Amino acid sequence: MPRPSARKPTLPSHLQALADSVIEHTLKNGLKIRLLPSDGVPTCSFYTFFKVGARNERPGITGISHLFEHMMFNGAKKYGPGQFDKVLEANGGTSNAYTSNDVTVYYEDFMAEALERVIDLESDRMRSLQVTPKMLESERQVVKEERLLRVDNEISGLLDEELSSLVWKAHPYRWPVIGWMRDIENIRREDCLEYFRTYYAPNNATIYVSGDFDPKRALAWLTKYYGAIPKGPPVPSVVDAEPEQKGERRSEVHHPAQAPTVMVAWRGPACANPDTLTLDVLQYALSVGQSSRLTRALVFEQEACVSVGVDWAWRFDQGAFMVAMELKPGGSPKAAEDALYAELLRVAKDGLTQAEVEKAKNNLEAHLLRELATNNGRAHALGTYETMLGDWRAGLALVSRYAAVTPAMVQDVAKRYLTPLRRSVVTLVPTQEGAAPQGVAA
Amino acid sequence: MSARVEGLELRPLKLPPHERHVLSNGLTLHVVPRAQLPLVSVKLMMNAGSAFDPTGKQGVADFASRLLRRGAAGKSADAISEAVEFVGASVGGYANEENVIVALSTPAKHLAAMLGVFADVALAPEFPEAEVELLRRRTLAQLQNELDDPGDLAEKGYSRAVWGMHPFGLPTSGTMVSVQGLGRADLVHFHKTRLGPQVAQLFVVGDVTSRQVLPLVERAFGKWTGGPAQRPQPPAWPGLSKPRPVLVIDKPEQTQVQLRIGAVGVRRGHPDHFPISMMNAVLGGSFTSRLITEIRVKRGLSYGAGSSWDMMSGAGTFSVSSFTKTESINTLVDVALAEVKKMRERGPTAQELSTVQRYVAGLYPSRVETNEAVSSAIADIEHYGLPADWVSEYRARVVAVTREQAAQAARTYLPDRERALVFVGNAKQLLKRVQRYGDVEVLTPDALG
Repeated sequence: MPRPSARKPTLPSHLQALADSVIEHTLKNGLKIRLLPSDGVPTCSFYTFFKVGARNERPGITGISHLFEHMMFNGAKKYGPGQFDKVLEANGGTSNAYTSNDVTVYYEDFMAEALERVIDLESDRMRSLQVTPKMLESERQVVKEERLLRVDNEISGLLDEELSSLVWKAHPYRWPVIGWMRDIENIRREDCLEYFRTYYAPNNATIYVSGDFDPKRALAWLTKYYGAIPKGPPVPSVVDAEPEQKGERRSEVHHPAQAPTVMVAWRGPACANPDTLTLDVLQYALSVGQSSRLTRALVFEQEACVSVGVDWAWRFDQGAFMVAMELKPGGSPKAAEDALYAELLRVAKDGLTQAEVEKAKNNLEAHLLRELATNNGRAHALGTYETMLGDWRAGLALVSRYAAVTPAMVQDVAKRYLTPLRRSVVTLVPTQEGAAPQGVAA
Repeated sequence: MSARVEGLELRPLKLPPHERHVLSNGLTLHVVPRAQLPLVSVKLMMNAGSAFDPTGKQGVADFASRLLRRGAAGKSADAISEAVEFVGASVGGYANEENVIVALSTPAKHLAAMLGVFADVALAPEFPEAEVELLRRRTLAQLQNELDDPGDLAEKGYSRAVWGMHPFGLPTSGTMVSVQGLGRADLVHFHKTRLGPQVAQLFVVGDVTSRQVLPLVERAFGKWTGGPAQRPQPPAWPGLSKPRPVLVIDKPEQTQVQLRIGAVGVRRGHPDHFPISMMNAVLGGSFTSRLITEIRVKRGLSYGAGSSWDMMSGAGTFSVSSFTKTESINTLVDVALAEVKKMRERGPTAQELSTVQRYVAGLYPSRVETNEAVSSAIADIEHYGLPADWVSEYRARVVAVTREQAAQAARTYLPDRERALVFVGNAKQLLKRVQRYGDVEVLTPDALG
């Protein structure tokens, strides 16, 4: 977790009001509860964050976190197969979920009157999920189609997958969240059951309820429905065995495409490292808005690429600072790469201007504010902050923490992290559609 | 209207006041004060969308709109970007089929300054030659790169197969050929002749008051003149040009096929809007819909499936969307068509209808939760001539739909024999599989423009 500042930061009034409204509670079984009552619109959002993701998998069962996320909608003891969404929709609600490398997150948005029913539905599947062979087989087919859609038939998916396996050699971040196709095909029911027992216990979860409800009644219902679910075993820790990177790594993907794409990733810190927030500022200064460093230089001035994006995602273990450049047809990946490195070198050598750093902070602040505009957004934001930073308060205080970031600090992280020795590069090499793969003639 | 769905209590929506002012030049200003967060959303909507682009100049509205911020009122693109982005605001323009939209999102404390920049961009763009050429190169590259996206190709193929040559079916950003032919003079002409206060409405939603906003808007937009006196009307649409077109877009490397089924639908603001919406929610507009149940849950054929109604001014279309591995494409088409047929013939059950009424009505408040969403809802009311109580009575109208009305809507509006099928995938493997559905036309992606 980023170092707490010595004095307690004062929050702007709208954030202070949100902070003051949060009610925290922990059940005896370890389930953490955060209530965020407000009366803007007569709906609620209910979020459950589980600290489990692809990071907790091992070779052979890659993708099980995500497959399991699907299985969570396929029936428990009280509400059987197909019932979860039916009952929810009949109560004016909808649900969805996502799995990342680090977490699995479920949510429901629903009319305020349905809160008790949603608590009943959610606690039912935490208590008594049923994994029947038939449902598992059907859901496996759905997930295989999802993989075909998002990875095998989509260029950005192919490249992401290649880049991750290049950046990480030993850490589970090296495999895709959706899993390798063969693993998806071979995950067994017993693997799922063990996964459920280990990671879906109350002590590995935190619930966020946001919207128009009475917190006293909500807490009573949460206690009633969740209270008797037994605590699970301690969650096995994940060993970050990733060795130090000793030099640039490169890879190519040959695939039918109109134009090349270049993706570059630099090994970055874990989200608990204070450098994380400085890299947030750097990310915004480089790529948010048409006046940002990389967009202005690479897209508008040099036309080295058609678009450039920077993705610095917080992760539990050492993450990656990623840049993706979409080129024009016939564009030169080498020239785009050189142009990118020249810009980054300039940042490392001369730093950013004070104005650029201020601009990045103002955009981060506006972004944080927009996240808090809806019941769903507030619950999700607080969940993310608490999961990644250890405390949701740290999230609401981000603006004042960003305020402490100086141009010198940004220059320093650029210098330390964005070096050739820490980078991995994947290039999409366009081939003719339908052409046979090139190979050495026998 | 009173709620008829048992046990469903509709608590009133706390709607902020919506104030309306007409400036002396004809510009209509809508102000909705909402003080939850110190943010303001500003949107200028002008009835000058791509459907009104002249023949041969397809894409000019979108091209010009995206260039607005790249130099205006004596300020360079960089100066404008710097001014807006420094305070954490964003500004930009684009065209859809019916309208040009220029939007601003800003922290409330910078509203006055940002509204000035916003007006510069909307009213006094300069379209510098160098920026025109730069955007042309980027647009051409992006149009070509989009040919790699199977979902995008399916949408383009769907538009072509269903709308035919009606302007609602032509690509909003133009084609490679039309974009090549756009010059600075076209953009200046577009701005002068198709935009103006009498075909424009300005929406300001967020942490503001009318007292604060009116003088700012008067100063920034009060002197705006010119442009059309009346909003343009899209041409009438005769419906599908062929009764059963089958279009295959060839992407030989694909192992999965994108499917679209298309047909004639209804215009926005149609009197049967709510019966159609409820029937559609049962068919393919929710997560427990019949299409999801039959395609995803029971058969594992796809990750996603749904149906929707694209309702425009004067006309609209119906579509079913899904995708599956190439070997399963016939099962997918047959299941989807059978569900449409079953719904057309028998309508939803009372139980199904009641479920989706609760689903849609219960969640409706979250559809007007952000400044942008409120702004869009009001813009729709204004643009499509919807009843003024559209938002406040939406849930009541949802729950008032009877099973017979929903069944009647299914019988009347769901397609029977006249429908288009669009496939994106490996044409060689697809041809023998899809010939049974009608005369097949095979296109390469670049033939879609």
